[in-house]
Amino acid sequence: MPIFTRIQKDRYIDSLETLNQTAVLNDQPGIESGYVGMATDVFKEVIEEIGLGSPEIQSCTEADYVIVAEAESQDAFDNAVNALISESASSDETEEKKYYSNIRSAVIEHPRANLCQISVPGEYALEEVKKALNAGLHCCVFSNNVPLDQEREMKELASEKGLLCMGPDCGVANINGAALVLSSINNRGPFGIVGASGTGIQHVAAILHEAGTGVSQTIGTGGNDLKEPVGGITMLMGIDALEADPETKYIILISRKPADSVLEKMLARIRTMKKPRVVFFMGCDKETIEETGAIWADNLDNCALRALELIGNDYSLGDLDELKETAKKAVKGMAPEQKYVRAAYTGGTYLDEGMRTMWEAAGGIWSNAPLSPEWKLKDGETGKGHTAIDYGEEEFTLGRPHPAIDASIRRPAILKEAADPETAVIVLDFILTPPGHMDPCGYVVPDIRKAQEIAAARGGKIAFVASVLGTTADWQDIRKQEEELREAGVYVCRTNYRAALLASEIIKLRKENA
Amino acid sequence: MTVGEKVAAANRKVLDIMTKARLVWTDVKPAIEAVPGMERNLILIPGPPIEPEDLPVPLKTSVCGAAIHDGLAKSMEEAWEMVLKREIRIGSSQNYNCGNAASSVMSSSMPVFVVEDKTSGGTGYCVPHPGSNPRVLRWGIYGDDVEENLSFIRGDYAAVLGEAVRKSGGIDLIRILSRTAGMGDENHNRQPAASMALALELVPYLLDVDHPARDRVIKEVCANDRFFLHVMMAGVEAVMQSCKKVPYSTVMVGMGGNGIEFGIQIAGTGNRWYTTEAPKISGIFLKPTTTEADLLGYLGDSCVTEVWGLGGMSAIAGPSYLRMTGGTFRDAQERTEKARQVSLGEHTFAPVPWDDYRGFPVGVDVRKVVGMNVLPISHGGSALKTGGQAGAGAAELPMVCFREAVEGLVEEIKKLEGE
Amino acid sequence: MSDVSKILNLFRSELITVNVGPRSFAEVLEKQGYEAVQVDWKPAAGGDKHMQELLEYLGGWE
Repeated sequence: MPIFTRIQKDRYIDSLETLNQTAVLNDQPGIESGYVGMATDVFKEVIEEIGLGSPEIQSCTEADYVIVAEAESQDAFDNAVNALISESASSDETEEKKYYSNIRSAVIEHPRANLCQISVPGEYALEEVKKALNAGLHCCVFSNNVPLDQEREMKELASEKGLLCMGPDCGVANINGAALVLSSINNRGPFGIVGASGTGIQHVAAILHEAGTGVSQTIGTGGNDLKEPVGGITMLMGIDALEADPETKYIILISRKPADSVLEKMLARIRTMKKPRVVFFMGCDKETIEETGAIWADNLDNCALRALELIGNDYSLGDLDELKETAKKAVKGMAPEQKYVRAAYTGGTYLDEGMRTMWEAAGGIWSNAPLSPEWKLKDGETGKGHTAIDYGEEEFTLGRPHPAIDASIRRPAILKEAADPETAVIVLDFILTPPGHMDPCGYVVPDIRKAQEIAAARGGKIAFVASVLGTTADWQDIRKQEEELREAGVYVCRTNYRAALLASEIIKLRKENA
Repeated sequence: MTVGEKVAAANRKVLDIMTKARLVWTDVKPAIEAVPGMERNLILIPGPPIEPEDLPVPLKTSVCGAAIHDGLAKSMEEAWEMVLKREIRIGSSQNYNCGNAASSVMSSSMPVFVVEDKTSGGTGYCVPHPGSNPRVLRWGIYGDDVEENLSFIRGDYAAVLGEAVRKSGGIDLIRILSRTAGMGDENHNRQPAASMALALELVPYLLDVDHPARDRVIKEVCANDRFFLHVMMAGVEAVMQSCKKVPYSTVMVGMGGNGIEFGIQIAGTGNRWYTTEAPKISGIFLKPTTTEADLLGYLGDSCVTEVWGLGGMSAIAGPSYLRMTGGTFRDAQERTEKARQVSLGEHTFAPVPWDDYRGFPVGVDVRKVVGMNVLPISHGGSALKTGGQAGAGAAELPMVCFREAVEGLVEEIKKLEGE
Repeated sequence: MSDVSKILNLFRSELITVNVGPRSFAEVLEKQGYEAVQVDWKPAAGGDKHMQELLEYLGGWE
């Protein structure tokens, strides 16, 4: 290969630079080997030794800058020299985002930080929460599978410090208008919510948003807060905070029925609350709640509507007759053997709500998280009679994100259920949240269409029934999502409860038909 | 006190020693007089202990060359025979409060810089840097020309330099580091500023020495922009001598490579080494024809400077070194930031103007390294397998050494605790 | 009643979140207009339980 030389007389480049340039030069295409430097004696010796020397270079002085290389062609050499020069001119990329390796160093450089959102594996949650609390940060802990004694430990520490510890297993919280973790983006308004169910909070807040009002703050406690060993520490602090918060005019509390001893404590606190409050403790009777001066709600929809009544808003989700009409349309064209409901949920709250709602019509529902143990599906088992599956359960999500983020987790459900000729209705839920899938409904539309083709080929038709949890402020836009489903022939209901009611009506009609 | 509290207290003590060191270069003396434990037939080499049979070529050359230089043998072959028969012993420098850069070795007649830590009372030693000539024992090369230089250093050079240093009453290395803060030295692989500042202090006393070789020595010292490195290494060894006396401490106090193995030491287990296969330095080569296959593993003790917060730890202080070795200013920031993450404190005497006047991190805690899974990066020159310098760059320190150090310390503490 | 002054302070302040977990969670907060500081969390000692125990014995590292 020929040797090419570029000499610049009286141009001083420090050896720091030329050593780097030599490395860059040798990385260029078409360069066999090259060397860059000031033409010192040492430089001349080296290039002689490696066979790149020439009389021209020997005649240079220490003040001359030399680029020399054995190259494929003059072009290759010229290109390499240009690359070299542009490399020298390039500076570091501009302002880059800084990442920290631990909470403490992050807080040292951001002393105004006030909240820590933690989503590490459950076994490490306590450690990180302690660090955050010790750094003076309120916590929102998305991590799950944290042992209850550890949950208690972190919450006691938070309580001692007067800091809020939302979670572990807190999927939803809106603080100062920000949608944390898997929350929806909500309008702000006079309602403060404390809830042990993320979906429950998100559900009620979404209806408030839809009805033209909104939330001041929503505080997720995590699903285990009202269990015995934890004792409702976060819910109590949340109530105290919302009671004292001037922006919060009304308070909504959401949970499954707390453990007995915890319930007593809760009721005692609710009794002394000063602000108007709606309480939905699933499974708590009306008297128990109303005795505290709170407004009783018996499901999530009702919880939102009762809250809206407090501000004189008569927003309606529609009545049962509408659904009965829809059901009649939906069963038209079904094949005789189609009789079962198959529900595929992305989370436990909606699974529960759906199963409770459909139970009577179905006469029992198989599930991976059933309402009673005799209805438990074996591992991996699906599609057996009436079935409802929670795709947010660990068997599907181990090592993967939540189905609201990774829509592919539930994806196989649609075609699998559609393959069964006895499937009459498929129930789906969709959740909108900033870190979630950007088009969760559009994502399943091809599968829905394909399912209908399969059913049609058998001389039948599947009723798809769905609800979308989210708001018009969510980036996915609930209107757009609903529209995509409707276009695919899906019966879109305002809420999950109503979707389950519609499914119940459909299976009732199929029973009558049989 | 719990073990955790004892460890914390020990680490505070070590950090105190490291950050409050007052390092003063007091003398130049033959190793046999200065270095405790030095013997006539002992040659100290860099890195962790190694059997002579396993020595890489450059160290083998240096050891045999030193044997001839010291009159222990007449030829390289004879010297090697004696080494194999253990008639000439080789020892690990850092176990003697010494450091040997690159392929340097220390034999008993060689002069050493004596640096004392006036605060903690430790003393450390290092042979002089031989200058910018590439043909030196320091890079595993020996021959008549090298012997001539070694003899000059042992003779006139040591005599003149020693007298000047003694006349000066001691030269304060911390003052030199302070004065040169912000001058671009990272003080492991680049120290032109510190070398100049040192010359500035030394030359007036050199001029007072009445010796025929005086002017030649002045020229040698002033022409060597790496002169300060070996003085600094002796200084660091002085600090580490004191640190190694603190049980329970998880702070790194030694590291080095012999080309085959790389190892670290931690305060709580003193001179015990935690070793693994020596990593290779990645960076630039002096000659474009060199390839990675030509490289020997990490060789030398000059990285003891890193143990005390210089070099890669203070990369941000000398970002030009990263430019030379193919990095950017941001890489330099990140390198120091990494070191900060795993270090217990910061030096205060040499704030870096473009790093918000922060000092460089010091006191690498092996617990942090293992716990956070963050590896400090050391600068270093790379050696050719056949001898000679290949290039310069940096290497991530091997995690396995830190994990072994944690194991070793727990073992040691359990003994102390009677568990 | 617990002392909720710190919580009320949070409600009244600009929300600045330290995110310990997936970067996307920090990114979506920023996209909503809230400052987020990212901590790239890694399990202690690369998840090595034995090392975690030894480190614990030595008093942890923070």
